[in-house]
Amino acid sequence: MKSKTTSHIPFTLGLPAIIWQIVFFYLPLLFIIVSSILKVSESGMIQGITLKKIFLFLSPVYLGVIGSSLLLALSNATLCLLIGYPIAYFLSFTSSRFKSFFLFLLIVPFWTNFLLHVYAWFFVLEKEGFLNNLLRFLGIIDQPIHFLNSLFAIMVMMVYYYLPFMILPIYSSLERLDRRLIEASLDLGGSWSHTFRRILLPLTLSGVRGGFFLVYIPSFAEFAIPELMGGDKQMFVGSVVSHYILGEQTGSLGAAFTVVSSIALLISVVVLFLLINKIMKRVRA
Amino acid sequence: MGRIWKLLIVASTYLFLYVPIIVLLVFSFNTEGFPSPWKGFTWHWYGELLHSTHLWQAFLNSLIVAICATSLSLIIGVLLIFYAAQGGRTGKFLSLFYGNLVIPETVLAVALLSFFTLISIPLGLTTLIVAHTVLGLGFVIPMAYARFLEIDLRLTEASLVLGASPAQTFFKVTLPLLRPALIATALLVFIISFDDFILSYFVAGSTAQTLSLYILSMLRSGVSPVVNALSAVLLVLSSFLVLVFFSLKSRTRIF
Repeated sequence: MKSKTTSHIPFTLGLPAIIWQIVFFYLPLLFIIVSSILKVSESGMIQGITLKKIFLFLSPVYLGVIGSSLLLALSNATLCLLIGYPIAYFLSFTSSRFKSFFLFLLIVPFWTNFLLHVYAWFFVLEKEGFLNNLLRFLGIIDQPIHFLNSLFAIMVMMVYYYLPFMILPIYSSLERLDRRLIEASLDLGGSWSHTFRRILLPLTLSGVRGGFFLVYIPSFAEFAIPELMGGDKQMFVGSVVSHYILGEQTGSLGAAFTVVSSIALLISVVVLFLLINKIMKRVRA
Repeated sequence: MGRIWKLLIVASTYLFLYVPIIVLLVFSFNTEGFPSPWKGFTWHWYGELLHSTHLWQAFLNSLIVAICATSLSLIIGVLLIFYAAQGGRTGKFLSLFYGNLVIPETVLAVALLSFFTLISIPLGLTTLIVAHTVLGLGFVIPMAYARFLEIDLRLTEASLVLGASPAQTFFKVTLPLLRPALIATALLVFIISFDDFILSYFVAGSTAQTLSLYILSMLRSGVSPVVNALSAVLLVLSSFLVLVFFSLKSRTRIF
């Protein structure tokens, strides 16, 4: 029973957070949506509604940029899932003494400024860097390979940075799993792949889905990694947005492109969500 | 067979995570700057790090922003949870905050920058704190609320029935019960704000340089072993914070 005595806690206590959220979250988002369809004269007067800015970004060039960002996000999330699931499984099933140590090792880089990791990968991937030296030492290559400023460097950095975002949700869904279900399945003659498909995966689906979108969504708008590791050769949504929004007169274009690409992202998330459900049904069957 | 594969995957992932860090740390003690190979041991770069005034100014800015954003989001977040949970109309207001973690940070940054420009707030530490508080609320509300729900309601009721005022009950019963979870949340929000790059990149303006922005400018201007030394210092710092986080045993999940 909820006691009546507590109900006179004033609503004003909750107000600061709600006001903060409305003013600094919903209002700015509403503002960029509205400003992307407003026609504004050079003197700053609103002259009506126009879809010109939106249509500008529906040209093949910009759709291509959105497409490559979607592809980048999808490949990053898929790679992180393929690498992350076994790691989460290992973390969850390892003996408890080492468990916190391995978790610790996983979280420390995650809690350290990510630009330093970009910097660290410069060291590894440079022409005279660690990887080239190692490969030459092992006699695999004669000439150093240019690893930096390539799609490869972008992908390595993306997976490196986003991996914990995938591992941790899967790990916590594995922690909540009743271990006896796995034992029962194996004892009763279920094969490993059968147990994985019918028990492990369905019961950790919430973690998988959570991790997948925790990686997928920010990867889509990532701009620092493509710029620093890819040398700006390939254009992604994040780089275009930051270019426009920080430009002299192009702020409203940046806002409009943000809106267009957010809509694309939203559609892709819905499609992926349905797709994951469909795949799960197939896997279970 | 399964066992060997598993070990192989795990070992290579941890190598993947730590080889860059170890290489980075080793070269912070190299007498010659990159890309020279190993020449000899020196503390020189750490000395230079100590004397780099720009860097410490940026460090201080990051610290101010992180502390302000953490305290602000924690205080107003907990007040809302306190109201919402006791008032019975819980989900209504708390679901307002779920978007903060779902939308890409770049989108939030663009929206805030446009908004600040519209209402002509000069960019600087204030706008950084405002933006980071929005991000912080996205963590504080769900994390603290999850812990709040686990509190035995009979404890607060007993306190109220025995004559304590709601405020006394809050400070003497509820808050102490929430403490480990709140400290864990605060640590997480602090480190996220302190390391934040995307929001800071957009809303810092040209005057307030945070540590991330300082590191970015160093990355763009060419590599220097001072950054290696800085990495070492920051790694020690974050290891310490992770240890504190673990030792709280607050059962707070990061995700």
